[in-house]
Amino acid sequence: MDTNSEIEKKIMTEIESGRVKLKSKYIFWAEKFGVSSAFVVTVLLAILFFNLVLFYLKSSDNLAYLSFGNSGVFAFLESFPYLLVVAFIIFILLAGTIIVKSDFAYKSPFGFLALAIVGVVIVCGIVLTYTGVAEKIEQETFESRPSGFLFKPFLSRGLEARHNGIVGRIIEIGDSNITIQTPRGSEKIILTNESLLPTEPLSEGIFIVALGSRDDGNFTVSKLRIINPEEIQMIRRGVHRRFGQFQFHVIKSGGCKFLPSSTIIQVTSSCF
Amino acid sequence: MNFDQFTDEQLIVQVRENDKEKYAEIIRRYQIKLTHYLRKFIRNHDELEDVLQEIFIRTYRNLFAFDTDKKFSPWIYRIAHNQAINHIKKNKKGSISLDEYEWEIVDEKMDLKKDIDIGLAKTKIEKGLSTLKIKYREPLILYFFEQKSYEEISDILHIPISTVGTLISRGKNALKEFLEKK
Repeated sequence: MDTNSEIEKKIMTEIESGRVKLKSKYIFWAEKFGVSSAFVVTVLLAILFFNLVLFYLKSSDNLAYLSFGNSGVFAFLESFPYLLVVAFIIFILLAGTIIVKSDFAYKSPFGFLALAIVGVVIVCGIVLTYTGVAEKIEQETFESRPSGFLFKPFLSRGLEARHNGIVGRIIEIGDSNITIQTPRGSEKIILTNESLLPTEPLSEGIFIVALGSRDDGNFTVSKLRIINPEEIQMIRRGVHRRFGQFQFHVIKSGGCKFLPSSTIIQVTSSCF
Repeated sequence: MNFDQFTDEQLIVQVRENDKEKYAEIIRRYQIKLTHYLRKFIRNHDELEDVLQEIFIRTYRNLFAFDTDKKFSPWIYRIAHNQAINHIKKNKKGSISLDEYEWEIVDEKMDLKKDIDIGLAKTKIEKGLSTLKIKYREPLILYFFEQKSYEEISDILHIPISTVGTLISRGKNALKEFLEKK
């Protein structure tokens, strides 16, 4: 007991002399505010990145390759948004870590909290797809606005050239090749006797998705099919940004000529 | 001066409002309890005294971090727990020292009489507790010797109440197994 009294004396002397002081309440407020803000920001970023993953899958060429079945798996894996998925997982883990390290949720089992965070992120991410936020980010990113700069590394993959697949708009059909417009520019793709083509006739202005391989910059088609541009909106917008809308120019002979320019002249029924 | 009419939480509010002397009452209220608790982790008397002093100083410095709507006891035990863990990590000593009567608490709560030689009970239980992993040892000590409820243990260790139950149950089984083996 004497020892204890001694401790009491020692501590009280330290306190009364001012050598041991109370830390300011503002430090703790700032700490609490900092942790809460970090948690909220992390969860919001997880929601945003989950939304971007959904957006990428829905609007890039990624899922279109799977329509070829097993043969499209390589092109699918090549165009998969790994960076977006990794960022999403990192933000989820970060949110979990903040919860574990902070004091505000230790009473609930971590499994339950983790499930709740993932659930909230998924639901909010899905809801966010109806707001058009991702389209706005895509626009800002590819129109090189400063606000889109941060997302460029994540979304640019959606418009990159693939080794095993290609998507674009036909502008010219030759005997053994087709010229297509892609978000990166015009490209000639080579058709061979082994190329599997759709039964519907190919025509200028339609979008196609093709599997094949790229050697020395030339893409040789193994399988090709027509695709509704609504299924690959990111590619469609990329092509439009680069080449403008698809237009027909009425020529005197009564036929049509495709113009990759932005000047619209006239569209008549004879063009379709 | 008689402070009996004040709860811990009321005293803390007054200390925070610059009534520093009232912190002495907090020290008086907790020094024996915390000494008792720390003895389960620290055998050396001088080391224990240093750790106890550090706990009270840390508690004082961080008083504004305490939420006065909650109970003070789990909060100061939480600080003591962190200091005890730091001490164990630094010193790598896991030995436990029970008071004379404390082995009987374990005996009573675990019904060991049939399995254990009474004469050796205290030493065996001390050894048994020392061999337990810290995650089992901590809740067992708080539950057996500090008479803390599951909720208080949850607040001290910052784990869910359901986990407290699981850890105590597993700790008991591990301890019983150890005592039966020897």
